[in-house]
Amino acid sequence: MSRRLRAALIAGAATTMICFVWSSRPWPAPDLPFLISTAIIALSFLAAGIAAWQRWPASRLGLLFTIVGYAYLLPPTLSNLPNPLAFTIGNLTATVSGAALAHLALAWPSGRLRSRFERWVVIAEYAWNLVPAMATMLFWNPAFSGCNASCPANLLLVSSSRPVYDAINAASIPVSLVLTGTVLVLIIRHWRSARGWSRRAMTPLLWISVAVIAVSVAQDVTGNLNLAIANSVFLGGIAPLVLLAGPALVVADTVRARSARGAIGAAVVDLEPGAPPGRLRDALARALGDSTLQLAFRLPDGSGYLDTSGQAVGVARPGPGRAVTPVADADGAVLVHDAGLEHEPQLVRLTAAAASMALEHSRLQAEVQAQLEQVRASRTRIVEAGDAERRRLERDLHDGAQQRLVTLSLALGMARDRAAGADPELGALIESARKEAKEALTELRELARGIHPAVLTETGLAGAIQALAERSPVATTISAVPDGRFPAAIEATAYFVVCEALANVASMPGPGAPR
Amino acid sequence: MLEAAGFTVAEAATGAEATEAARTVRPGLVLLDIQLPDTDGFEVARRLAAAPAGGPAPVVVLTSTREARDYGGQIAASPAAGFLPKDQLSGAALRRFLDLDQS
Repeated sequence: MSRRLRAALIAGAATTMICFVWSSRPWPAPDLPFLISTAIIALSFLAAGIAAWQRWPASRLGLLFTIVGYAYLLPPTLSNLPNPLAFTIGNLTATVSGAALAHLALAWPSGRLRSRFERWVVIAEYAWNLVPAMATMLFWNPAFSGCNASCPANLLLVSSSRPVYDAINAASIPVSLVLTGTVLVLIIRHWRSARGWSRRAMTPLLWISVAVIAVSVAQDVTGNLNLAIANSVFLGGIAPLVLLAGPALVVADTVRARSARGAIGAAVVDLEPGAPPGRLRDALARALGDSTLQLAFRLPDGSGYLDTSGQAVGVARPGPGRAVTPVADADGAVLVHDAGLEHEPQLVRLTAAAASMALEHSRLQAEVQAQLEQVRASRTRIVEAGDAERRRLERDLHDGAQQRLVTLSLALGMARDRAAGADPELGALIESARKEAKEALTELRELARGIHPAVLTETGLAGAIQALAERSPVATTISAVPDGRFPAAIEATAYFVVCEALANVASMPGPGAPR
Repeated sequence: MLEAAGFTVAEAATGAEATEAARTVRPGLVLLDIQLPDTDGFEVARRLAAAPAGGPAPVVVLTSTREARDYGGQIAASPAAGFLPKDQLSGAALRRFLDLDQS
């Protein structure tokens, strides 16, 4: 909305209001409640017009609110002027505000009428507010309405006839009722067909329409039947204030969009990292207040889209009342939402950005997880390779050096036995060599056991832990060890953990036996 | 060494050969290496104990380059008469097993 337009709207509203107040002199006017309520209603619609124009520059809602405001304010202003032409026009257009209201209600919330039929209904509304008025004006003497000589002349007056005037008024009532009923039925249909975001915009309008129509029908019927209540403070001044709910709709919608914007941010922040897309959709739908929101992803082969519940979504033709917004930076993801949200482009952009951020976050999380998985697998491979290497070393020692030392030890034993009788000195020498060989064998065994305990290969974890407990310098009780065999790396890890723990316990003084 | 100690020795290279030889030779004592190319000594000891084939089962002595504790509870659970580390192998040690069996 340009600043010039806004300035013009504000100036227009202010000028018309000043004219209205000035024209209703002398004060205090006898119909003061009516004047005050008219001024309040008109001002609120004019203000809502500016606000709506500002918020939805592409929509006609601002224009429609402004039209209703002027349709309320101008006729009484004109008819209060001491000029016959202004007086006649003012009285002729006295009820045109009703048609403008019907137009606004049918165009809510997009600002557009939905069908050709509705355009005809609106044209009929405007026409029906002018044609019977014109007909009655031909026979209306201002004196009928208690206006004495102080009123300007009715320029359209052909023949002053109270019965004809009343008859035309009475005849117009059924047509007015049919038109009003049609408008109400159309509004109900709009409400029924609306889903999600639009439904929440339509629900208050439905109740407001019912209330406004009730008040206006009461005013028409009592006025045409010349009932005293028609001019009461309640019906003329207080009841019409129900119309203030119309401008309040703009405020409510603004608040709703603003709070949705805040809620979207909070929803994404609250979403746990790596939450599945279904959770993201639920959080966004809740924050947006559009239960129909779908988050859909393009199939890898590009043949279509699936939403988070696995249902196929026609993204190319999302269906009536639906709109599609691509989620930027997320490969092939789209939001399918209520078309009513197109009037809140900022909100939709924000939702798409939030979805994109959350999806990107999930993707990064998955990548990190995958990398972590790779690191874990490679670490396992390293451990397993190290373990296999240690087992090989132990076996090599056992099959090679240990065997040779055993053979050497046995040979020395035999040599000693043979030498013992003949040459005791040689026997003693050989015996000392045999002891050395035995020592070497013991040390080699210890070394091999440190590299990889043979008992673990031979008997598994249970036997190996049992052996550890028996060898431990501190008294150790084994509560339970799983019996079966496990992958070598797991057995080795568990074994060395226990081994290390027992060594730690043994190195630390303190009471109690390890378990 | 064993022959020098007065034993008559028949050799078998694998577990299967040992089982077969035990049937034909009918030894009084079998010195059984735990590490065998086809199976292990515990399995062969079980087979020898289960199939006496008409005579008394031979005294089976398990042996290995490793120590007894490297085999956890397996030696105790085996029907073999005992275990003798290879480096402690001697005619006297084997005789002790035979004496133990007879007493």
